[in-house]
Amino acid sequence: MAKKQHGTWFGFGFCGFGQVLGSGNGCHSVHSPEPLCASDDICRVSASWSYTALVTCEYPGGSCTELQAWTPGSALQGEPLWVQNLVTGTEDQGENEPSSEARAGTLPLLPCASAYVTPQPPFCQPLAPELRVRQLELGAEHVLLLCEAGQVFSWGGGRHGQLGHGTLEAELEPRLLEALQGLRMAEVAAGGWHSVCVSETGDIYIWGWNESGQLALPIKSSAEDKMAVRREATELNEDSLKGEEAAMADVGAPALFIAIQPFPALLDLPTGSDAVKASCGSRHTAVVTRTGELYTWGWGKYGQLGHKDSSSLDRPCRVEYFSEKQLEVRAVTCGPWNTYVYATEREKV
Amino acid sequence: MLPGVVLENEASRGIFALAESVVASDEKQPRPSVREVLIMSEDTKGPTEPLMGSSTLWKDLRVLLPGTEEELKLGLSEKVDRSMTMLLKQAVGLFYAGHWQECLQASEAILDYSWEKLNTGPWQDVDKEWRRVYSFGCLLKALCLCQTPQKATAVAEALRVCDMGLLMGAAILGDILLKVVTVLQSHLLPGKQLACGPHQDQPAPKKARCDSNSAPSVVVERAVPRLHCPTLQYFRKHFLVPGRPVILEGVADHWPCMKKWSLQYIQEIAGCRTVPVEVGSRYTDEDWSQALMTINEFIHKYILSEAKDVGYLAQHQLFDQIPELKQDISIPDYCCLGDGEEEEITINAWFGPQGTISPLHHDPQQNFLVQVLGRKYIRLYSPQESEAVYPHETHLLHNTSQVDVENPDLDKFPKFAEAPFLSCILSPGETLFIPAKYWHYVRALDLSFSVSFWWS
Repeated sequence: MAKKQHGTWFGFGFCGFGQVLGSGNGCHSVHSPEPLCASDDICRVSASWSYTALVTCEYPGGSCTELQAWTPGSALQGEPLWVQNLVTGTEDQGENEPSSEARAGTLPLLPCASAYVTPQPPFCQPLAPELRVRQLELGAEHVLLLCEAGQVFSWGGGRHGQLGHGTLEAELEPRLLEALQGLRMAEVAAGGWHSVCVSETGDIYIWGWNESGQLALPIKSSAEDKMAVRREATELNEDSLKGEEAAMADVGAPALFIAIQPFPALLDLPTGSDAVKASCGSRHTAVVTRTGELYTWGWGKYGQLGHKDSSSLDRPCRVEYFSEKQLEVRAVTCGPWNTYVYATEREKV
Repeated sequence: MLPGVVLENEASRGIFALAESVVASDEKQPRPSVREVLIMSEDTKGPTEPLMGSSTLWKDLRVLLPGTEEELKLGLSEKVDRSMTMLLKQAVGLFYAGHWQECLQASEAILDYSWEKLNTGPWQDVDKEWRRVYSFGCLLKALCLCQTPQKATAVAEALRVCDMGLLMGAAILGDILLKVVTVLQSHLLPGKQLACGPHQDQPAPKKARCDSNSAPSVVVERAVPRLHCPTLQYFRKHFLVPGRPVILEGVADHWPCMKKWSLQYIQEIAGCRTVPVEVGSRYTDEDWSQALMTINEFIHKYILSEAKDVGYLAQHQLFDQIPELKQDISIPDYCCLGDGEEEEITINAWFGPQGTISPLHHDPQQNFLVQVLGRKYIRLYSPQESEAVYPHETHLLHNTSQVDVENPDLDKFPKFAEAPFLSCILSPGETLFIPAKYWHYVRALDLSFSVSFWWS
């Protein structure tokens, strides 16, 4: 039996409301990962724009899980805004992972996957049981769904290509992503206006709005670096240029850029690593690899990419903090403008 | 015009998306550490102190705001997230306390969050409250930018931020952004004319390229009829009700714009103002895009120089943004025949070089197109000919024809050849009535400025 490892949660990005993020010293944003200064038995983190919710678990064999919500400005000091004890199931905690109840019944999915909740009226929407929903994610105006068979469905607004059906038209009902048929997906993630999924074999597919490079496709470059034409991205996305009203590519300019990618594009990480987990903020993307590395790209103004600065990136870059500290990244979950990471110490060989 | 309200506003939003990232990257201010922030706020003088080296700028700006924090009413409804209302109040508090850097930081978050709201859902569904929030963000940011005395570009940046608030936001505090703009413009350089004005030795606009831009002949049988100042009743009975196009002469020809407007005049009044520009031959092309630039930049890049691309300041409510120009135009009297109020009439500017093209399309409202500078070739097809103009099938472009009017693919679109139409060359001083839903195609034969009035 492998030794149970206690991991640590880290956070970086926007914390203008004093939501739990690193040292909480009153800073507006954090640009490099910092350990969360809360209790270290957090098994789940969920962040909105202005506050972060933590689910704690009591080890060992704890039967009580507690949901805490913290008020803006509290910096996790004093009492949480409210606390809710959750009825735990009988799930074994994955030894090296936070609660693996992440699969079935995670919000916004309700238990039994019969319906899901949204922040806007009517707040609760039913789901057809024949869909056999395993995971559901909400974007700003679209919904992504992963079924038990590993197929991806999308519906909602499509003006930024986030539905992945090759058009900018909206869909009222869940529609299958035909471009991904035949590939079994392990996980889906929805950003504000973009979508990501990871296949069981570790491939990343990505589509939607690329205005800050959140698709890892070239964005309109500034005058100074017009020379940096991204060859790989261009070849990957020849299909995207053929759409009529869909893709908007400026062919005349020195540098090619893609604003919208209306159907899935395969994305290779720099080292060719396999991806196992993905999460999206409103305009950035984070991916965990099988070998425990974290890659981020997209909008970075609040340090949510964790590369020690506030620049945005239109290609995947490894968050060096974890490599430098010999930490193995296990999970990632993004708030709209920040990123939370769960990592354990690497076994010394 | 651009495919109805839908794409126009999608497209507009597209620009603003680009613009916001441009603005963000322009911001060269390093993020101050916590300690620096504290030190800065201790050192910062209160808001009543004049800005160093810029005698009355701050005084002129400060006086536009209520004297105290309590007097500044945000007036936002419950629809705005409580966290945002809190942040806004905090930002206002920081402003009145003179903590400029912190206020600037808070304004950035206000702008970024409200920008995301503005980009969620169709534009017409975006709650006006969020647009007000965006305007508040612009106001605070612009004012804080004027607190950086060493930056020569501070005022120009602040002006740009105000324009973003005018373009995407909604009115706050009695149209305060317009007032701030007036102050900023007058402070851009000691002589305001120079800042916004044209450069010396300005070359003449490029000459007509005879072959590609020759004026098409207008066959007399298909000419749009012309009338000189018809009565309201006559116009209503013979054109408005039956939905027939007509050119009205003598209606707009004495408007001040006809005599006053020129490249030089426009640059003087509004050269440093930021406007949306369409780049690309036509909006149905793959390489069509939008950009934000000042009017000076637009004129220099797309009108005065031999630009590779076509740039068109199209379908923009310029006169809401620049009220001084509104004084040079009027509202055609015939608009009173409609059901709507005068405030509901949408007035758009269409300003561009020779060769701009609006593909064949229709709009939901009645339209008076007033020509001010240059001539436009216009072709009109009745709604009854909709089948013969082969509209796109997508929802986004359902009001746009697939046919290139002056170079139609008749194999692909055979019915188009026989479809009856009317055409004209619209010259300065003339007003074209385009009935609602009437298909129209427009090509500029010269450097052109038109003003359109959409009414119901």
